[in-house]
Amino acid sequence: MEAVKTQDIGVNDLPWKIEYHAERCTMCGSCVAGCSFKAIKVEVQKQSLTVSEGSQPEPKHTHIARPIIKQVASLTDFCRGCGMCEKICPNNAIRPVRNADTRKTLLSKDNGPIKRGGRTNLNAQRTLDSIVVGRISQMTDPSLDAARHTFDIRAPFGRVLPAKDLPFEIKDGKLVQKAKTPPVDWIYPLIFSDMSIGALSTRAWEAVALAVGYLNEKCGLPVRMSSGEGGMPVKLLESDYLKYFIIQIASGHFGWNRIIKAMPHMVTDPAGILIKIGQGAKPGDGGLLPSAKVAEHVQAIRGVPKATLASPPNHQGLYSIEESVQKMHLSMNAAFGFRVPVGIKCAASATSVSVYNNLLRDPYKICGGFFIDGIQGGTGAANEVSLDHTGHPVVSKIRDCYLAAVKQGLQGQIPLYGGGGIGMTGNAAADAFKLMCLGANGVFVGKVLIQLLGCVGNEQGRCNSCNTGKCPMGICTQDPRLVKRLDIDKGAQKIVDYVLAFDSELKKLMAPIGNSSLPIGRSDALVSTDKAVADQLGIQYVC
Amino acid sequence: MFKINTMKGHDRMSTQDLLLAIEEAVRQGETEFEVAASGQHDIGGPLWHPEGKTLHFHITNAGQRAGSMCLPGTEIVVEGATSADVGWLNAGGIITVKGDAGDTAGHCSSGGKIFIGGRSGTRTGSLMKHDPLYEEPELWILKNTGSFSFEFMGGGRAVVCGYDSAEFSSVLGERACVGMVGGVVYVRGNVDDFPADIKCLPLDDEDIAFLQGGMDDFLSHIERSELKGELTNWQEWQKLTPLTFAEKAAKGNNKPSMQAFRLNEWVKGGIFSDVAHDDFAVHNTLSTGLYRLRVPSWDNAKFAAPCEFNCPTGIPTQRRFDLIRQGKLDEAFQLELEYTPFPGSVCGSVCPNPCMDGCTRGGIDEPIQIGALGYRSAFLPVAKPSVQTGKKIAVIGGGVAGLSAAWQLARKGHSVTVYDEAEHIGGKLEQVIPRGRLSHELLEAELKRIESVGVKFVSNYKVDKEKFAQLRGEHDAVVVATGGTKSRFFPWEGAERLTMGLEYLKAINRGEHPQTGKHVVVIGAGNSGMDTCRGAYEMGAETVVAVDVQKPAAFKEEIDYVEGLGGKLVWPFFTNKITAEGVYANDGTFIPADQVIVSIGEEPVLDFLPEDEGIEFFRKSWLVPKADQSIAEGVFTAGDTIKPGRLTDAIGSGRKAAYYVDQYVMGQEVKPFPQKQQIPAGRLSKAYFDKCHHCLLGDPVDDHARCVSCGTCRDCKMCLESCPEKAITRIEKADGSWEYVSDPDKCIGCGICAGVCPCGVWSIEDNPEPIKMYSTGAKA
Repeated sequence: MEAVKTQDIGVNDLPWKIEYHAERCTMCGSCVAGCSFKAIKVEVQKQSLTVSEGSQPEPKHTHIARPIIKQVASLTDFCRGCGMCEKICPNNAIRPVRNADTRKTLLSKDNGPIKRGGRTNLNAQRTLDSIVVGRISQMTDPSLDAARHTFDIRAPFGRVLPAKDLPFEIKDGKLVQKAKTPPVDWIYPLIFSDMSIGALSTRAWEAVALAVGYLNEKCGLPVRMSSGEGGMPVKLLESDYLKYFIIQIASGHFGWNRIIKAMPHMVTDPAGILIKIGQGAKPGDGGLLPSAKVAEHVQAIRGVPKATLASPPNHQGLYSIEESVQKMHLSMNAAFGFRVPVGIKCAASATSVSVYNNLLRDPYKICGGFFIDGIQGGTGAANEVSLDHTGHPVVSKIRDCYLAAVKQGLQGQIPLYGGGGIGMTGNAAADAFKLMCLGANGVFVGKVLIQLLGCVGNEQGRCNSCNTGKCPMGICTQDPRLVKRLDIDKGAQKIVDYVLAFDSELKKLMAPIGNSSLPIGRSDALVSTDKAVADQLGIQYVC
Repeated sequence: MFKINTMKGHDRMSTQDLLLAIEEAVRQGETEFEVAASGQHDIGGPLWHPEGKTLHFHITNAGQRAGSMCLPGTEIVVEGATSADVGWLNAGGIITVKGDAGDTAGHCSSGGKIFIGGRSGTRTGSLMKHDPLYEEPELWILKNTGSFSFEFMGGGRAVVCGYDSAEFSSVLGERACVGMVGGVVYVRGNVDDFPADIKCLPLDDEDIAFLQGGMDDFLSHIERSELKGELTNWQEWQKLTPLTFAEKAAKGNNKPSMQAFRLNEWVKGGIFSDVAHDDFAVHNTLSTGLYRLRVPSWDNAKFAAPCEFNCPTGIPTQRRFDLIRQGKLDEAFQLELEYTPFPGSVCGSVCPNPCMDGCTRGGIDEPIQIGALGYRSAFLPVAKPSVQTGKKIAVIGGGVAGLSAAWQLARKGHSVTVYDEAEHIGGKLEQVIPRGRLSHELLEAELKRIESVGVKFVSNYKVDKEKFAQLRGEHDAVVVATGGTKSRFFPWEGAERLTMGLEYLKAINRGEHPQTGKHVVVIGAGNSGMDTCRGAYEMGAETVVAVDVQKPAAFKEEIDYVEGLGGKLVWPFFTNKITAEGVYANDGTFIPADQVIVSIGEEPVLDFLPEDEGIEFFRKSWLVPKADQSIAEGVFTAGDTIKPGRLTDAIGSGRKAAYYVDQYVMGQEVKPFPQKQQIPAGRLSKAYFDKCHHCLLGDPVDDHARCVSCGTCRDCKMCLESCPEKAITRIEKADGSWEYVSDPDKCIGCGICAGVCPCGVWSIEDNPEPIKMYSTGAKA
C-alpha cells in the first residue's frame, strides 16, 4: 500500500514529464549527473509478483528490485524541459515531454509571484508573421541581384540634421562647416542589445562581444553591442574595441563607477550611450538580478553585496519626458564631450508616440535614437505576470512613431530602432526588413544571440530558467561548473555566421524590391494577409 | 543579291516585314543580303540555306540583336556601330561589327565568332557558354568593355585587346567577371577589379597559340590588320579564368578562426581577465572531481533510525541488528545496556515501544520485534567500570529516572548513591506497576545489576531541606529524581471523598489490601487508571468503571484486560461532583459508586529544595531546568520532576542528566547532548524488501534480515556494485569496522550510490567545494 495524499505534488502537476525507457537504460548515471535542476534521481523500484507457471494454479512468488531513473515530483526541483538528459543519454532512454495537464503555475505561488526568464508565453503570436514582402519587381522595374549588387546597409545612430539645418557657409569659394553638428555614426542596422554582466555569464557576455569584434574587424560589418545595465568590463573600456560598444545606463546605474574611472584610460570613444527607461519584456519593472547570479565580480563591478538586485522601475532623478531629454541626454552627451551619440530605450507603450514627439521637439538636438522594445522581448528574470500580461507589440508602435515624424517632416532625424522578439520565429533579417519598411532605421536583438550560444528556451515554456542561476548551457549563470560548459569561440562563431547570413538575407529582400539602400518607410513593399493588421499599418491587404 | 532599303521616304519598314522578306528570300535560295536597315531587330538569324550554302549579310544601321540566334553558315558584317545584344544567343555565326557594339554584346553566345572593331557596352559577354558537342564561342573586342563584363560567363573565349584604352583604369570596366564559372577572358591593358574567385594569370603557350592563330582573322574582319604588331606583344596580356569548383572548395574561408582571432587580436586574456580567472577550456557536460555538479558522501549513522529517534531512551536498535548480522550477538545485547538498565523490565515488559510504532519495516509488513529483543538483554551481566573517578554523586529518588542516571554515572566510574524514602528501591516499577504486568524477579534482577556496577542504594531515607543541604555538601553533584508522588485532582464538589490512586496502588504492591468498595469508579483511563481498575478488581470490587474526559489513552491490551474482568470505560465524562452515592458529570450523567479513586496523574513534591537559589517552577509543581538539566549549582534533575512521562521518557531523561552531570563533575566544557535527526523516509529504499504475506514472526534475533538498517550501513555492497564509474571502494579497518569511499577522480556525481542504498547512508549533495573563479579585480 502506498501512502499518497491527494494534495501531494505528482509529476503530472509539472510542466514537463520525463519519458523514461528502463529497458534501454544502462544506468550509466550521465543524465542525473548532468541535470543542473536536480529534476531526476535514481531510485530502486520493485516488482513483487505472484505468478503461476503450472497447468493449474500454483502460486509462486517472485521479487525483483532494480534501479531506475525517476522524475522528482517537486515544485522547486522540477524538470524545465531543457533536454540535457536526452542530449547526454547514449541510448535514447530518456527525454522530457511537455505536459498539457500541468498545474505548476497554479500551485507554485507559495513564495510569492512566479519569477522566470525568457519571453512572454501568452502573447507569442506575431504581427510580423502576417506580413510578407509582397511588392516584388516583376517587369515594372528591374530587381537587383542580391548576390552581386552593391548594397548600402547602414543605419544612422545619432541625431541627423536636415540639409537646411546643416551649418555650412561658403568662404573663399569653399564650403566650410561653421558650427559643430551632432555626432552621427552609420552602423549596421542590427544592434546586439542590453544583456547585462550578471544576467549573462562572463563567457556568454564575452562570446557576444567577441562576435562583435570579429564582425567589425574581419567581416566589415559595423555591428554595435549595448552593454546592458550591469556595467562594462574594464579591459574592454580600456581597449580600442570600445568603439564598437554602446554603454547603457539604466535606473540602477550599475557599473558606472568603473566606467567613469576608466575614462582617463580610454583610447577611443564608445559607439554610443543608451539610456534605458524600460524594457519590453517587463515594462514597469526595473532590472532584476537574483542573488544566485550576483557573484563576486558582479558585486564588485556593480558595487553591491550579494543580494537580489532589483533596479527601480524608473530613473530616480527623472520625473518627466522633458527632464529625461534635457537632463539625462545632456549629462550623457557631456560625459564624452558631445562626441558620442546618445539614444534612449523605452518599452513600447500606448504612449510611445507622445514620447517620440517630445524627443523630436528637443531643441538641443542631443537625442540620437529612440529604441522601442516590444512585448516579445526577452529577459533574464521577471515576474511572470509582467512577462505574460504587460507590454505592447512593437510593430504598430514603430509605424505610428514613424508616421508621426513624417507628418511633421521630421522622419529620419531621430533614428528609430525596434526590438522585442526580432528573430523569434527564426528569421531576424525578415523581421528587420519588415520593420524598416514600416519606418524603423534598424533593429536590436538579444534573445536570438543567446539562442545562438546554445540557449534552448522558447515561448512554449521550455527551460526559461535564466533566473535560477542553473542555466544548463552556462549562459545565464555564474556557477563556474556550468559557465565552463560554454565554448566561447564556437558561440561567437555561431553569432558571426548568423549575422553574415542575416546580411545576405537582408539583401535577398532588398533586391527584389529594387532598393540598394535600406528601405526605411517603404511600406509599399509590404502586404498583409490580415485585414486588421493591413488597415492599422496602412499597407495593402491581400488574400 | 537580296538588296533592300528599309526606308521609303519617311516610311520605315517594320522589323516583322523585313525579317519575313529575308526569310522568304533564303527559302528561295538567296545567299547574299545587303540590308540598309533603320534600326530593325534580329537581322541575320536564325536562318539556314536549303542547300546548306553560306549566307552573307552586310548591314548598315542595324538595330538591337543583330545576328541573334545565328546558325553556323551565316556571316554578318555590320558596317559602323551597332546597338545592344549583338550576337545574342549566337549559335555559330560569324558576326563582325566594324565600329562599337552596344551593351550585352555576345550575351549568351555559345557558338561562332563575334568580332567587334571598337568598344562594347556593359555586361559584354555575360552568360557566354560552351556546349561540348560544338566548338567554343569566341568574342573579340578591339578596345574595351563597359562595366559588369563577362558576368556569369560559363564557357568560351573572350579577347579584349585594350587598344586605345589607356585612359581607363580597367579595360573590362568595373566588377568584371562576377559570377563567372567557366571560360577565359584574355585581356591586354589595365584590369583592377574582379572577384576573389577569379584567377588572373599570365598567358601560357596554348593561350598564345590561340591568340596568334586568331588575331589575323579578327583584324582582317574589322579591317585593322595594321595593328597586329602593336597587339601581339604577349607580355602585355593576361587572362582571367574562374577558380574551378574543386579549387573553390579547397580555398574555403580565408578568415582567421574565432579562436585565433581571440588569442591574437582580441583583448589579451579576455575582457574579464581582471575579475574572472578563466582559461576558456571547454568542459564536458559531465565532469569528475572539482567540476562535478554534485558529490556523494557516505554518511553512516548520521541520521537516527526511526526506532532510535522514536525511543525516548534513544536506543539505536538498527546497530544491534547490524552487530547480530555480523555474528556479534553478545555485543548486540550489551549495546542496549549502554542506554538503559531496564531492557527487560521496561523495553521487554511495560514499555509501549514507540520504537516499533516508528519502525520502517512496519510500513512494509510488520515492525521489527524490538521490545522482545530487549528482553534478551534482561539477565545479562555487565562488567564493572574499569576506572574510578573518585567523584561522588547523590541521586535523590530511586525510580527509573534516578536509576537510569545512577546507572550511567556509575558505569563511567563515579561513586553513586541512590536515596529513596521507600522501603524498596525501584520507584513506580516496584511500588505501582501491578506485578501481573511486570515480573518481580525480573525487576529485582535488573536492580541487582545496577548495584553490581557499584551503585549504592539507601532506602527509607526521606530528604528534607536540611538533609538536602547535607547531601549537597557531601557530594560533587546531586540529581533530583523524586518523580511525581502526589495524585492530582481538581477541586470538584466532594473531592474530599476521593481515594488517591497512587497511594492505593502502592498499598496493593506493599501487600496491604487497601479498603475497596463494591462499586468503584476510577477517574482517569490512562495506563495508571487501568492499573487502578485492575487493582480494584484484585481487591474485591464487583464493578469498576473508568471515566475520562477524552478517549482513553491506555494501551489496547491494558483496556482489553480490564474489560475482560468486566470493567467499563465511559467517555467523555466531565466529573462535576462526588457524593456518597457516586459520581456526577456536568451533563447530569450519574454513575453510582461507593468508592471513587482518582488516577489522572501525579505531581512532584519538592519541598526539600532550597528556596533562595531562584529555582524555576512550572505551575508551582514541576521543575524548569536549564539546557544542561541543572536547576542550581551542582544540582540536576530528571524524569517526572520536569514533566509527567512514560517510563522510557524517564530513562532517557536520566541518561541525559547523567551526560551533563559527568561533564560537570569532570570539569569539562559543556557540550550539548548529541541528538540526531530522524532519517527522512525518502532516503531509504524499501523496494528491496519483499512484503511478507501472512508471515509468522520468528525469533526477534532473526529479524536482522528484515531490519532495513535505517541510516546505518548494512554492508550490502549495492553501492559498490552499482557505481557506473567503479569509483567506490570498501575499506576495512583494524577493528573490523568498515567504510565506503568514493574516489573523486572517478566519480561523476550521478548519485546512483545514494539512489540504490537501502539504508539511506549515501547522500548526494551540491558540490560544496568552492571554485575560485571570480574576484573584485583588485590588482595583486
